[in-house]
Amino acid sequence: MVQTDAPPSNEFAIESKGLRKQFGLIEALRGVEFRLRAGEFLTIFGPNGAGKTTLLGILSSLTRPTAGQARVAGYDVTDNDPRMRREIGVISHASFLYPDLTALENLVFYARLYGLADPEAVALRGLEEVELSLRRHDKVGTFSRGMVQRVSIARAMIHNPSILFLDEPYTGLDQHASLLLERHLKELKTEKRTVVMTTHDFGRGLEMADRVAIQVKGRFAKFLDRADAGDAAAFERLYIDTVEGVL
Amino acid sequence: MNSFFGQVRAIVWKDFLTEFKTRELFSSMFVFAVLVILIFIFSVDLSLVNSEEVGPGVLWVAVIFAGTLGLNRSFTLEKENSGLQGLLLAPIDRAAIYFGKMLSNLIFFLVMEAFILPVFMVFFNIDLLSNLGPLLLVLLIGTLGFSALGTLLSSLSSNLKTREIMLPLLLYPLMVPIAIGAVRLTEQVLTGGALGDMMNWVGLILCFDVIYLAVSIMTIDHILED
Repeated sequence: MVQTDAPPSNEFAIESKGLRKQFGLIEALRGVEFRLRAGEFLTIFGPNGAGKTTLLGILSSLTRPTAGQARVAGYDVTDNDPRMRREIGVISHASFLYPDLTALENLVFYARLYGLADPEAVALRGLEEVELSLRRHDKVGTFSRGMVQRVSIARAMIHNPSILFLDEPYTGLDQHASLLLERHLKELKTEKRTVVMTTHDFGRGLEMADRVAIQVKGRFAKFLDRADAGDAAAFERLYIDTVEGVL
Repeated sequence: MNSFFGQVRAIVWKDFLTEFKTRELFSSMFVFAVLVILIFIFSVDLSLVNSEEVGPGVLWVAVIFAGTLGLNRSFTLEKENSGLQGLLLAPIDRAAIYFGKMLSNLIFFLVMEAFILPVFMVFFNIDLLSNLGPLLLVLLIGTLGFSALGTLLSSLSSNLKTREIMLPLLLYPLMVPIAIGAVRLTEQVLTGGALGDMMNWVGLILCFDVIYLAVSIMTIDHILED
């Protein structure tokens, strides 16, 4: 088959059909179905163990689904196509950073992996955006959790991805880091990037969302437009009713 | 577009920078290799045996044992802080990850060997300098096979809880052909053997180098997948 550099045309930025994932006897995903248009922001809420991280793992091609199909930026996630990975950025619990390297060295490394021109300049710009340029020569291992997460944001954005997967990005962040992240997410929304975020924070999750999903026991129990989700208090009631109804 | 070699170079650069800052790998491998040589020195009476015949075995045992320490750290370092996931998320060929790690290991091993050769020379009282060129070539091709196979098995065992035990259990039996070839070849180089006899061993080692590299390229995608 002839491969071209042009991305496959697709109406949806992310498309998931009957996505299943089994770890031994445990069924982490039990048929997740959704579609997301380019520029939409989906927030996924759900109790611990609902399979949110597994879903993001599959969508970012780190985990292979047991069954079903998912397409991201038009590419099948199981095809292991580097062009798909060029389109995505991931922020998760893990920073993907090397503690013995400085913040700048970490970002230069990722800029080189992504084949970016002038890696040092790109890395420095990334650190300036997360307000850590003054600490660029300090080892990441000496940073606080919030600072590590800020470098991690710069790492995920270094190649200017069109799709972002954020797995509970607010976990362990201090107020300042949370505000910086919030500002970044708002910029992403303004820039019409597609974002899928998992969180337990109703206020922050709803503020940015165009679509909202409640994931319970490996499937979307609810998938709503933001307008149908109501305010934070109403959504919290809906969330609790949904989770208790399924569990 | 990022070239394959650019990706490999980035990984090697990162590994070197990490090692330069921590010196964890080199210092532990070097000290371990010297200890292995010392243990053999005290257990073998060199007045009764020919050091050119015993020495090559000791040298390669030291290289392989010390190298195993380095291999154990190779992918464990990537697993800590999920660095491997960061590599897997980048738009790079999985073979580039393998070759990057393999080249880093190969260079670390060769540097370690450069430092233990003088120690070996002094303790075994063998003149390595007169055969230094051929000896370095033997070390290069033997270490290449060790690094090729070791990096693959290190990536495989890094997923296991018992990785420190599993790596040598998987590695040493598969290293036998290269180890035998390398020891015999080193012995012939040190005793000034005929070039014709040496070529059989060179062929054997190179053959296994190619096999292990080919198997690694074919399997690394599946191994690095969850």
